[in-house]
Amino acid sequence: MKLSRRTLLRGAGVGLGLPWLEAMMPSTARAQAAAPRSPVRMAVLYMPNGVNTAHWYPEGVGRDFKLSTTLEPLGGLNDQIMVLSNLWNAAAKGGDGHYCKESAILTCATIKKTPGVDLANGTSMDQLAAQRLGEHTPLPSLELGIAPVAVGVDLAVGYTRIYGSYISWSNANTPLAREVNPRGVYERLYRAGTAQNGDAAKLDTLLLDRVLGDAKRLRAEVGAADSARLDEYLSTVRSIEQRVQRASSGTKRDWKPRAQLKPEAAPPEQPGSHEEHSRLMLDMIATAFQSDTTRISTFMFGNAVSNVSFRFLDGVSLGHHDTSHHGKAEDKLRQYQLVNRWHVAQYAYLLRKLQAMKEGEATVLDNSMILFGSALSDGDTHSPRKLPLILGGRGGGRIDSGQHLKYTEDTPLANLYVSMLDAFGAPVERFADSTGPLPGVLV
Amino acid sequence: MTVGRYSRCFAMFLAVAAALDAQPANYSFQDAQAFLKEHCQVCHQGASPAGGFDLRQTAGAGSIRSEAARWSSVALRVKNGEMPPAGAPALTASLREQFTTWVTAAVREGACGTGAIPAASGIRRLNREEYAATLRDLLDLQVDLTSSLPADGAGGEGFDNSGETLFLSPLLLEKYMKTAQFAMDASAKEYKSREKIFVARPGGGVSQEQAAREILKSFLPRAFRRPVSPDDLAQYLTLYRAARKQGQDFEPAILFTLRAVLVSPRFLFLVEPANNSGDMRRIDAYSLASRLSYFLQGSMPDELLVDIAAAGKLHEPAVVRELIPVLMRREQTIEFAKRFVDQWLRVRQLDTDKAPDAKLFPAWTTDEDLRSDIRLQPALFFYEILKRDLSILNLIDSSQTVVTKKLARHMGETIKATTDQQPQWLDLPAGSTRGGLLGMPAVLAVASYPYRTSPVLRGAWILEAILGTPPPPPPANVPALEKQASDEGPKSVREMLTQHRADPACASCHSRIDPLGFALENYDFIGRWRDQDAGKPIDNRGELPDGTSVAGPQSLKAALLERKDLFVRNLTGKMLGYALGRGLTLQDSCTVDRIVAELKENDYRAQKLLELIVLSTPFQYQPPATGRSKGGKQ
Repeated sequence: MKLSRRTLLRGAGVGLGLPWLEAMMPSTARAQAAAPRSPVRMAVLYMPNGVNTAHWYPEGVGRDFKLSTTLEPLGGLNDQIMVLSNLWNAAAKGGDGHYCKESAILTCATIKKTPGVDLANGTSMDQLAAQRLGEHTPLPSLELGIAPVAVGVDLAVGYTRIYGSYISWSNANTPLAREVNPRGVYERLYRAGTAQNGDAAKLDTLLLDRVLGDAKRLRAEVGAADSARLDEYLSTVRSIEQRVQRASSGTKRDWKPRAQLKPEAAPPEQPGSHEEHSRLMLDMIATAFQSDTTRISTFMFGNAVSNVSFRFLDGVSLGHHDTSHHGKAEDKLRQYQLVNRWHVAQYAYLLRKLQAMKEGEATVLDNSMILFGSALSDGDTHSPRKLPLILGGRGGGRIDSGQHLKYTEDTPLANLYVSMLDAFGAPVERFADSTGPLPGVLV
Repeated sequence: MTVGRYSRCFAMFLAVAAALDAQPANYSFQDAQAFLKEHCQVCHQGASPAGGFDLRQTAGAGSIRSEAARWSSVALRVKNGEMPPAGAPALTASLREQFTTWVTAAVREGACGTGAIPAASGIRRLNREEYAATLRDLLDLQVDLTSSLPADGAGGEGFDNSGETLFLSPLLLEKYMKTAQFAMDASAKEYKSREKIFVARPGGGVSQEQAAREILKSFLPRAFRRPVSPDDLAQYLTLYRAARKQGQDFEPAILFTLRAVLVSPRFLFLVEPANNSGDMRRIDAYSLASRLSYFLQGSMPDELLVDIAAAGKLHEPAVVRELIPVLMRREQTIEFAKRFVDQWLRVRQLDTDKAPDAKLFPAWTTDEDLRSDIRLQPALFFYEILKRDLSILNLIDSSQTVVTKKLARHMGETIKATTDQQPQWLDLPAGSTRGGLLGMPAVLAVASYPYRTSPVLRGAWILEAILGTPPPPPPANVPALEKQASDEGPKSVREMLTQHRADPACASCHSRIDPLGFALENYDFIGRWRDQDAGKPIDNRGELPDGTSVAGPQSLKAALLERKDLFVRNLTGKMLGYALGRGLTLQDSCTVDRIVAELKENDYRAQKLLELIVLSTPFQYQPPATGRSKGGKQ
């Protein structure tokens, strides 16, 4: 038998390197004059597996609240955050323990139980915003994660694990692929934000027109059932085509960012640890927001049911999901809390990073809304009630931060999204099962 | 002390019941009706029945056929304890078991009466491994492009080649464009690639236009995996001319045109011409070549397959019988074995959340050779079985295995491996317990926690991956093991599980799961042999629900071989799902039945399994046109 085990195993191999980076001029020529007002950015950081509820909720409500032990890493940021207690996601109450909840955190829809053939969720709120305002930035939105899509179908509950691997859905049937390699993200941001020279853009347009033509002809040849896939292809090609045109003409750009991307700032390809990996991905959000390459991002610390080992933390001997199934056992609850707290610390890291980025008189954090939380409260009972959620940043002055807001337990999570979409500049009358905006959130 | 989700008490019926117990005798349609009437009727009747399900829909005897999907869904919800809902009187495990076992059997029997009917395979995108391999073969380019795309999720039978879950998104299309550019740039610098692309050159009476035409004439059918029309050729020639008009020289214009080919849906998707007739029909020869090639080679059809397809002979049983051994001798079969086995057995998870703990097993991170030896052993073993056309029962137990010297040392075996350069196919020493998948460290590790073994995880893994009868999810609100045990001080895992099974509600499932796992307790979390754990001797004994005693790996394998029908059926279903790139339908399960029966007549030979799948109705045929759009957007 003759084979190269290493090549087989790596699957990564040579990779693409960065030839285009060197070749590309760091051109920043944009004809557009800067609009005076900084745009609002929005990110959602998703933590799988819920929280140890005994140590999550702050003490006191309103402006005078004290951070709990789990939220301690946010110390000093009290006036920058808004802790939201007791919201729930009614659409996620049935189904199984995880997929049904976690996949619906931004859609507030009930997912369809399927191993894949008729996947159905809803459009997520970040994508709704991207569809409304995404044309103002080189990338409409940025979907990030740590773990690649989870393998297989969960035969025990009958859901494809795809559900647990995506929180951003461009429509009810289409989850959005995520980037998990920080270097890849940086390259993408750089490429998207760098104006293409006219010839290259012209060639890209020719190429895209040709393959659009192929898709249209093919659409006429295949059966009705297959045309949906080709429609997906057609609309994807069109969106790239529009992006190429925008990039070369500079139209639609409504604001000139103060920061530019530099090719030499690309992060390493293979982060050393889970913590380093997480922070590099959060850095990418900060970079994307500061350079206005996109204004919308979602990030998954792990897939639903993630059992990534947290033994790198002092006092933790288990994987993430194992700690969440504590069965009220003291030692597991303690470990669970430590894992939750680690996630909060990463969130605090991003908030501080954005706070340190000046934008005129304000900071990027002032102009952002960074939602952090989980689709479950207690991971042991898989409850979609009393969700642990924190909104950081002032949303360009629209968010009345510095409060702990405690609602009645029947308040829909979707109401928060109505308020956030309003602050973002993409107001909606309703989102999923919303009953109105969430009182107290907006100034 | 750690307890995962499977350590919870399963107070409900398991599909396992059917696996390890006898079928309930004397259960009839009337019994099923009585069950529904007693436990479901209150909500599922009247003007607005709960969930839109009215018992009248399943009342007639004919409904087993006409409403098969509805019956199956009822059975699944009862099996998983979702119905009757919380608050309704709870059902005993045996009531659930009898009902669901009967429904499953009856629905299957009803469906198979009509003979095999193919389901629509649909257009499907190449997944990232297929895409990278296809570029490699199309351009003769020895660069691995896999990492240039994000991983694809899985659907259907649990594989990432399921058309239904291979979505497209702007991120992916961007990556396709970038990768195509990279691949064409790289090809321009490679002698072999250039030979493959530039089959004609301008000069010596050949105009640039003529050369371009020749190049496209050769490239397009290979990229699109079927002959192309003059019109298709003209379209790409127009693109070439446009590039020339943009000031591109001959060669850059060609490379640019081919770049577009690599982003075309005809390249990115496997597309089969629609069947517009009212009857099922055999797919065309080129579609069959692609199906066969992506199934067994994971890449585009090569010249051999295209030639046989062009001659109209690829569907002939005699040709397939001759072809399969030829394909199995190729190195690409390793890729096929790896993709299939990695996902079937879930050993791919060793790369992510199942990676052994770095502190407890540093070699996993420091010794790349040992890691790849462990990681690839199941796939290479499967490859040898395919290549040598051995019985698939070798997967349960075998007198041979695949090892390097280093891996043999890790396993503590006196196998006569002579090298660490390449894994070797070798006889196991007499009395070895390492035969079959269950003796392999990769399997033993993926069915453990990353830091310790779990009889429950291993038992559940065997039920799911080997027997195809996964346990249902644990119910909510069941106290964890340690809570029950805490009154009486710390205990061993065995003591806790014994106590757990003392509760009859828990026993219904754990009596099926735990003994399978206990039999493997001599292997630690990374598959090394041990006689003791924490100073105590290993107790590897257990009793299966039917009374069979097992003690240690060999008697476990003997017990599994007693249930080989389940294993063979499971493997056949997985393989058929992988081959078709979609989830199996009820009709497909009849095909599975037939293949299982024929395999039995053929000593369970591995190549026979492939042959039967390739020659099966769902692999060879398209369903009649329905004219109905399924799951469409817009």
